Amino acid sequence: MATDWSTTSAACEKYEALLEDYLNGDLSAADAKTAAEHWQNCAGCRAALQHAAASLRLLRVAGPTADPGPGFARVVMARIREKSAGGANFWQPFVSFGWRFTATATLALAVFVSYNAGWGHLLQPKVTTARLTESMDLFAPEPARVPANGDEVLMMVADNSHAKF
Amino acid sequence: MRDVPKSMAASATALTLPLQVGEKRVDDRELVRLSQNGTEAAFEELVRRHQQRVFALVGGILHRPDDVEDVAQQVFLKAYLGIKKFDQRAAFSTWLYKIAVNECWDYLRKRKVRPLVYEADLSEEQVSRLDGIVSSDRPPESASTRMETREILERMLEALPEQDRQLLVLKEIEGFSVQELAEILDLNVNTVKVRLFRARGRIMDTYRRKVNSSGKAHAASAANRKES
Repeated sequence: MATDWSTTSAACEKYEALLEDYLNGDLSAADAKTAAEHWQNCAGCRAALQHAAASLRLLRVAGPTADPGPGFARVVMARIREKSAGGANFWQPFVSFGWRFTATATLALAVFVSYNAGWGHLLQPKVTTARLTESMDLFAPEPARVPANGDEVLMMVADNSHAKF
Repeated sequence: MRDVPKSMAASATALTLPLQVGEKRVDDRELVRLSQNGTEAAFEELVRRHQQRVFALVGGILHRPDDVEDVAQQVFLKAYLGIKKFDQRAAFSTWLYKIAVNECWDYLRKRKVRPLVYEADLSEEQVSRLDGIVSSDRPPESASTRMETREILERMLEALPEQDRQLLVLKEIEGFSVQELAEILDLNVNTVKVRLFRARGRIMDTYRRKVNSSGKAHAASAANRKES
């Protein structure tokens, strides 16, 4: 059957640190004498000490965290090197932005130059002319026509002379 | 990446140091000084020397074995990045353990989940085994019973307030001294002693509750069997 732990285990506040020292074997001879005198007359402290000693035995069952082994230091150093290499690439985003900007600017310049060189009409849509024709006013005078030959020139001069009179 | 010393990044030029001169080891102060000057091998030696304690500390605080290695790696990485600023007024180990504690707090803050405490009753056999350990320091015989007892103890520790659990684990299981705990946790030595002593009382209260409730459950089931 289980041990009866029903007794109260509250120690006097003043003696708690001393009791802890006692458990850890850190109590000086003078302090040990003072504490022993107190415990003889204090049931609370005696019970608390009994409980604390039992906790030592209970906690001994658990094992400490295992040693990570020699590979751990190598892993840490590898991670540090990896991070350090990452640190050297601080300017990388700026460099790639610069390259992108340069490429875009070059392309834009090429388009502009080729347009100016006379290939612009190739880029103009033919639809524009048709739209202009459609939107012309039907009652407006015909635009001046360029004569194609000498006869047409004479005809135009004659028309103009006739219109004046 | 911040403040990575360029010279340290050059792993290819890492020096092979005489880190052990005859029987005498190069002390931590010297290794820190060398690390600050960019000697990678010196820092690697510091990692090797302190990895076990950092693991113990992180393991004691986190109580999640799967994450201990990741957090421990992060601790050494932070130490590496900050070593140039370390003025050696405190011991390297104390400085390193403080980094470890902060890293653990950050980790716990990010993952606020606390594992569920499994509150199953103990079997009669488990009660008597635990009682044997607590009353007379009789260790469990077989590996399987030892494992089982450890699991029960883990559950009891989980039921404690976080600070009590950490203090008990770091002191009694991972082997840190009261002095070390005071330095690492930035507490007064006397405060650590008092808190430890109270934590001992609390885990025994948990133990008592567990044993008593299991005892009652067993008595009830025995009575039921008798009646039927």
